[in-house]
Amino acid sequence: MNLIGQVITVVRKDLLLEWRGKGRLISVLLFGVVTLLLFSFAVGPDSTLLRAAAGGFLVLALLLSSTLGLSESFRVEQEQRAIEGLLLLPVDPIALYYGKTLSNTLFLMLLAPVLTPVALILYSVQLDLSGLAVLLGLWTLAAAGLSAPGTLYAAMTSRLQSQDVLLPLLLFPLVIPVLMGSVKSITLILTGDPMSQVGSWATLLASFAIIYWSLCGLLFPHAIEEGI
Amino acid sequence: MSLRAADSATLAVQTSKLGKRFGRQWALAHCDLQVRPGEVLLLAGANGSGKTTLLRLIAGLYKPTQGNLTIYGMDPDQEKLACRRTLTLVGHDNYLYSQLTALEMLQVWTRLRGAELPEAQAIELLREVDLDERRDYAVGGFSAGMRKRLTLLRTRLEEPKLVLLDEPFSALDAAGQNLIEEWIEGYRSAGKTVVLASHNLPRASKMCDRAILLQEGQMLWQGTGSELLDQVGTTV
Amino acid sequence: MTRQFKWDSGLGLLGLLLLFVGSYIGLFVAPAERYMGEVQRIMYVHVPCAWNAMLLYTLAFIFAIVSLWTHRAKWDAMTTAAVEVGIVLNALLLVQGSIWARATWGVWWDWDVRLTTSLILLLLFAGVLALRSFVHDSGRRATWTAIATIVAFVDVPLVYFCVRWWRSLHQVQSTPDTVAPMMVVPLRINAFAILFIAIWMMAQRARLELDRRHQDQVAEPERLAPVGGSSND
Repeated sequence: MNLIGQVITVVRKDLLLEWRGKGRLISVLLFGVVTLLLFSFAVGPDSTLLRAAAGGFLVLALLLSSTLGLSESFRVEQEQRAIEGLLLLPVDPIALYYGKTLSNTLFLMLLAPVLTPVALILYSVQLDLSGLAVLLGLWTLAAAGLSAPGTLYAAMTSRLQSQDVLLPLLLFPLVIPVLMGSVKSITLILTGDPMSQVGSWATLLASFAIIYWSLCGLLFPHAIEEGI
Repeated sequence: MSLRAADSATLAVQTSKLGKRFGRQWALAHCDLQVRPGEVLLLAGANGSGKTTLLRLIAGLYKPTQGNLTIYGMDPDQEKLACRRTLTLVGHDNYLYSQLTALEMLQVWTRLRGAELPEAQAIELLREVDLDERRDYAVGGFSAGMRKRLTLLRTRLEEPKLVLLDEPFSALDAAGQNLIEEWIEGYRSAGKTVVLASHNLPRASKMCDRAILLQEGQMLWQGTGSELLDQVGTTV
Repeated sequence: MTRQFKWDSGLGLLGLLLLFVGSYIGLFVAPAERYMGEVQRIMYVHVPCAWNAMLLYTLAFIFAIVSLWTHRAKWDAMTTAAVEVGIVLNALLLVQGSIWARATWGVWWDWDVRLTTSLILLLLFAGVLALRSFVHDSGRRATWTAIATIVAFVDVPLVYFCVRWWRSLHQVQSTPDTVAPMMVVPLRINAFAILFIAIWMMAQRARLELDRRHQDQVAEPERLAPVGGSSND
């Protein structure tokens, strides 16, 4: 079976698992909403402040929720060691990686359509539909950027003690370019972009995603060489 | 039965001074094993004697610390995917996703092997292990025995030449154990090689061509199944 | 072993000596900077630390690639050593930079591009060490250390670029770049000084790591004499 076929099989399997385990997605979304709420309490009911920081808070909430989602994606593999079952089959590890990363990207993409309206409401921000579409597109690039190293590290930390600490610790400093890129570009969408800078930030997000999708795909087979 | 000095190209499994160390503990050492194609080999020994380690080394889940091993003449390091296509392992874990149904699990495994499994054929397989009634039920609700039977179906799905079984009789009732015995007989007639580790010596020693006793990670003794029973009694 | 002792300890001593010389010149002989005055003299350790931290991280990246390629313990030891010493220098440069900011602008932290990037790098590479501490199998630990180091290093230009861009939108002055000729000499001396000291520390650390690995490499147990039974021939 060719590589693409294996990738598709892995993605289908993950999407099926996601669909069956809907509770997980809902819990992660609720977590995101709680985070958005906490940020408002941290700042206080100052609507000017909140409006200015809305982009930042939204992206942070998405980032924190994404990390939860990423670590969950391998918890289901370790529960009954299904991942070992996959490693025993003649599956190319690269197909395993890209399948998993693709399904993680799709999962993360689902977070924005729910958390964005909540943020818009809580922080009193107006946004028209085209703006919303661009925002979701930007988040898609960010989600792709987060998933690449996120899937690699989620796999590596999935059986370690303190995995809950290690994954964010490894991921957060690494994805600062994604964080900055999405905060900046989304804030510009929400507050206005007089100098058309969104394109440049979007390019940064896309570059990060391309670089890490390539790099982590190369490294993943080494990471699982002695099992995970 | 005499084993001519066969070259590694014809042996199902050949190891030379194979050893595996975890931290400071040697789980397996000085292992020189030769398994002929079509043979049914029993690995016996107490817990911690190295049976599981040896099986996992053969399956390619561990890399040897020492020595080397070939599977049908292939080096697992160089020809990883080819080796994986040749063998199957059912170990202590079930390799299942709790949210998928029995049918779906079979289909996922088959697809990842590069084939399609028609539903009728899948139902037939599930019927063999008495799971066809539960084929649309999520695996998470299955009992330990049911899960084991489903996982053991992996050996029927694929067409591996080498079947590795780690405690296949555990978690199964007498009917299930009889079924596995039948399967192993079937593998032998089909010319497949079976290496199994088991504590259930009365049953396992009857069906094997040869038995090896492991102790503290080393091969202590080898002989026929009945000689094994004389050597150690009925359980190890 | 004795020869090894000589070369890197010799280098370390030379480095220490150079550090004294360079710092003396920097503190007492070189002229004070036009705008910042005496405070600027901290540059004579700050800049060399920065250069060498980046150099060590780059070395770690190269060692990591070799480690992944060869799976030899030596390269894992050197990767770890380079990361650790790099982190030490990184931490030092942050402290020095913070002191400089305090003396110059009255604040301990001002989001200067290079300082901000350094803080992110510190956290990036500290993560590598954190990961390492949780993996007990030496083979897997070596592989994963190499992977994490490579992933972290590839991020460095991305981080620098985006922090710079982020700051440029706010148009704040960064720390001045131009260096008068009289200042170059102590700077170069100290750069080499810290390089030599860093190499010495790396060699020590790598050796320590290899020793630990060797301790784990317990010899195989004695071969058990096979008990009777029908042999397979």
